[in-house]
Amino acid sequence: MSILSQKTHGGRLAALVLLVLPLALYIIVYLVPLGSIVSLSLDNRALSDRFPALRVVLDQGAEATPDMRAAALISDLGGLDARQQGETARLLNQEISGFRSLVLETSRNAATIPPTMEALLAFDARWKNAQYWEVIARNVSPISWRHFQKATGLKPGPDGSLYLAEGDDIYLRIMLRTLVIALQVTALTVLLGYPLAYGVANAPRRWSTFILTVILLSFWTSILVRTTAWVVLLQTNGLINTLLIRLGIVSEPVQLIFNRFGVLVAMTHVLLPFAIIPMMNVMRTIPASQGQASRSLGAGGVETFLRVYLPQSLRGVVVGGGTVFILSLGFYVTPALTGGPGDQMLSWYIADFVRRSLNWGMASALSVMLLGGVLLLLTVYGLARWLMARPGKAA
Amino acid sequence: MSRTIYWGSLVLSLSFLALPLLLVLPLAFNTSSFLIYPMEGFTFRWFAEVFGQATWTSAIMNSIRVALGAMVLAVLIGGLAATGAILTGRVAQVLLSALFVSPLVIPSIVVAVAFAYAFGRAGLSGSYLSLMLAHAILGAPLVFLSVLTSLRGLDPALDQAAASMGASRLHRFRHVTLPLAAPGFLAGALFAFITSFDEVVVALFLAAPESTTLPIALFAGLRDRLQPTIVVVALMLSLVSLAFLLVLGWMQKRTATSRQT
Repeated sequence: MSILSQKTHGGRLAALVLLVLPLALYIIVYLVPLGSIVSLSLDNRALSDRFPALRVVLDQGAEATPDMRAAALISDLGGLDARQQGETARLLNQEISGFRSLVLETSRNAATIPPTMEALLAFDARWKNAQYWEVIARNVSPISWRHFQKATGLKPGPDGSLYLAEGDDIYLRIMLRTLVIALQVTALTVLLGYPLAYGVANAPRRWSTFILTVILLSFWTSILVRTTAWVVLLQTNGLINTLLIRLGIVSEPVQLIFNRFGVLVAMTHVLLPFAIIPMMNVMRTIPASQGQASRSLGAGGVETFLRVYLPQSLRGVVVGGGTVFILSLGFYVTPALTGGPGDQMLSWYIADFVRRSLNWGMASALSVMLLGGVLLLLTVYGLARWLMARPGKAA
Repeated sequence: MSRTIYWGSLVLSLSFLALPLLLVLPLAFNTSSFLIYPMEGFTFRWFAEVFGQATWTSAIMNSIRVALGAMVLAVLIGGLAATGAILTGRVAQVLLSALFVSPLVIPSIVVAVAFAYAFGRAGLSGSYLSLMLAHAILGAPLVFLSVLTSLRGLDPALDQAAASMGASRLHRFRHVTLPLAAPGFLAGALFAFITSFDEVVVALFLAAPESTTLPIALFAGLRDRLQPTIVVVALMLSLVSLAFLLVLGWMQKRTATSRQT
């Protein structure tokens, strides 16, 4: 007994020693960066640091008189240098258009405005508008939901409840588009992949080896290379258009790429093996004797397939389809190369925020939403697999 | 009737899967600069062009360098993690597996943004080290799974036999367990190499112009202008994948036969 406990104790120690380096590297190089984009998505210090005096005043709540607020605002805005003025005005303008000129003018002339509300309103009557004060009040705190509000188009109304602002649903539409494309690709991969998976599981040995080889070759060929093939095939003067014209099906080249068609064809091709492999693994476990039994009882080929084979293979369809759906949500390379401006998925906009406007806040907020969606789906998917595996074990 | 549907759909799907590459890749040898059939003649001109242009040759060298570095790091991380995880209890093993496999399921764009921000702050942006580290994190899950599978498949009787003859724990691990798990490490190393060699999204965010990898150069070339050199590069990348599959298949066969004897 003592030997056993000593052994497990030694095992624990060895495990700890072995795991130190990989865990440390994972935390530093992977988990901390992932965590940093979560904090970036909420980080509002670029704005909150500009309003130190106003933050103190607003924290006093009802005790803060209008004159105190005006004095704090004038002193904060007056303390900004030219670069900070521009940045603050730009960030606040993202929330209400028209705010830029008010912030710039007030901060440039802050030294000439006496620190009272009356004087502030006399300088610019726009400060009478409560909306401007609400926006600033929301942004004096170092943490803000600003980026998420922009990503969802949901804005807090005067009473604090959220409402969907007119015309602000651009990212909601992109998320919807991403979901629709992912669903379409999932349906197409399952439809095209099913016969191949069936072939691997049921065709004569030489055929099934051949099909499996093609699937594995395709699986291990880089996504970029397979996308390249489609770009070459689908271009205006490419192989497919030349063929269609030669066959007399069309008289002039058809637009096959840089639209939704191109994205769906290329993504379906790229993701097809991910749908096939799980379906194939499930189909291999379905005994051929069941089909023979069904036929010997008088059922035809179609009936045997629909009533005996298909229901048992559905588990593979769910796993394969689920894998494709989750993977396609985050796709970037293939739609970027085969789609038009109206066919880009969420990933493209994340990349655009980083590469073009260096807007890390928005890129992070959209990344966090994409990651959250994927993790949620994975949880549901894991639960579904677990539930589906249970009756199989009992039987 | 049902057989016609079956074979019809099988041939259709198989053509969809296989034909695009089979049709496009031979165009790397076409004398015409237009990427269409019929081919006008056979030439190696476009290969010479790829190997004569600094953009492509430096990208090839960068890719090999990054992939080798990422492979070593990934084998180190994934291998240590798997050998450590196998010694822990069931719950710890599930949690460790979830952690070490997670880079496979997180959308690459999210990881790319995170790496770009973190490496940028650490002053590593554009460096080879940042690419190697990032690719090592993406490759480590495959090493982890591959090593874990081979360690789980080991016959515990072999370890017990060595222990019964008085071999110490460390000695047994070094001389019995590790050699038996070697195929798992080798397969994992191959997976890690090819993952890095083919990776696009993270490299797009991390690579500086002078550390551009082959897939990034191909991505940029595709957006710029379609020409035969692009097909040549695509063909080269496919051949690397093919070589990888052949080595993997050969290794699996060897392991299978050595297990039998």
